[in-house]
Amino acid sequence: MLRLEDLEVRVADTLLLGPISLELRENQVTCLIGPSGCGKTSVIKWMAGILPPEMKASGTLTLDGTPVERHDRFLSYQPQSDALFPWLTIGENVCLGLEVAGMSRGEAWAKAAPLFEPFGLKGTEHLFPRQLSGGMRQRAAFLRTIVQDSRYILLDEPFSALDAVTKIRMQEWLVSRLEADPRGVLMVTHDLHEASRIADRLLVMSSRPGRIMADLPINLPRGQRSETALADLREHLKTLLLEDET
Amino acid sequence: MLLRSNALAILVMLALLLLWEAYCRMSGVTPLVLPAPSDVLRSLYLNAHEISGHALATIGVAALGFSMSVTFAFLTSIALHFTPTLERAFIPVFVVSQTIPLVALAPLMILWFGFGVLPKMLLVILVTFFPILLSLLSGYRQAPRDFLDLMASMGAGRLQRFRRVTLPSARPAFFAGLRISATYAIVATIFAEYAGARSGIGIYILQAKNNFRADLVLSAVVVSAVLTLALLGFLRLIEWWTDPETRRRRHAPA
Repeated sequence: MLRLEDLEVRVADTLLLGPISLELRENQVTCLIGPSGCGKTSVIKWMAGILPPEMKASGTLTLDGTPVERHDRFLSYQPQSDALFPWLTIGENVCLGLEVAGMSRGEAWAKAAPLFEPFGLKGTEHLFPRQLSGGMRQRAAFLRTIVQDSRYILLDEPFSALDAVTKIRMQEWLVSRLEADPRGVLMVTHDLHEASRIADRLLVMSSRPGRIMADLPINLPRGQRSETALADLREHLKTLLLEDET
Repeated sequence: MLLRSNALAILVMLALLLLWEAYCRMSGVTPLVLPAPSDVLRSLYLNAHEISGHALATIGVAALGFSMSVTFAFLTSIALHFTPTLERAFIPVFVVSQTIPLVALAPLMILWFGFGVLPKMLLVILVTFFPILLSLLSGYRQAPRDFLDLMASMGAGRLQRFRRVTLPSARPAFFAGLRISATYAIVATIFAEYAGARSGIGIYILQAKNNFRADLVLSAVVVSAVLTLALLGFLRLIEWWTDPETRRRRHAPA
């Protein structure tokens, strides 16, 4: 279990978020939702060790009870954009994290190559990112994250740049991928529909300074999450967020 | 393709040359003052052997100075990128160096370093170094934040982030800087030769001017333009050759 305790983030003397404590369980998808500017992205940036230097943070991260320093050993992060390097082919992009971790290009390729087919990316290995559609680019970015074999994955609004249809397809695709290869996921989103469709658990943040104001497990299996079944949950979330705003 | 994309510019050039030719023929101006383009081309053809010798000397110095300038600018850019204090200390010095007029500096260089290659090369470096350096530094700053964050989250250190993100991001700006500097390189070499040299387009222009041969002066100008265009074409070729997509096509399995 990955545990974050008493995280506070400040810029100069202004408290942006916190104190926040949360737990990520292995093989469980947790969605962090909240209004714009509440600090959702700052939470996962701090966990990934990439909080901008002008932001000062305090807090601890423990993995199975042990405090940890090097995040890259057990966490993979995917930013809001797909962040595929335009000067690298899709194959090279996918292998990037493995090469940074010290693998040779051959070793990295041997590990990544079998995953192209299950990710629906077969035949794109030698193409450049600009030659792929938005959905395929997201899948390639997700493959780059998954192939690093981290126990936990941090996703920062991964589908926010996609059109409505591609977004729904990608959400369904992500759910099926995580069922085939479960990981502990913390996904930031401001989309209530997306969160209720994907998550096992919802963490709702208040407006600035962001704090966790609700921890809501979704016990309904994903196959049974019809619009009607989720209506009450969404209504509850909407009320929470609107009350916080006022 | 190249011809099609520059068709309009070529048409304008041809129209201007025709206008010039027509003016010379109809106004009765003496060729000693203003030779027609056809006179310039004839002189160029008749003196091709002599001019080509001078042109070779010029291109040699310009290429050597320009290559050294690119190397120095690249090494300096890395030092300044990793040490912001150095950047704050040196950029104003480099800016001041650009304010020194070439007309004052060229003769001094000859005075200090003689008539050999060194003073001309130094002048080329002085003129071309700064635009390349600035384009590199501004290119480094264009590295997308998301890419750098992603690399950092993977555990990449500063050097790895620089090599895999910052450097490739600076590629377009670097080539833009190279193209600007390339045009300065030929002009600076000719200027240095003009101030004192044994051979080169600059000294050829000086001799032609002293002999009141406007046709030969203009022939040298044509050669200088051709040399600059050739250098720009060569840079385009390198840019195309090192492009990631070209590289992929070169190494792709058949």
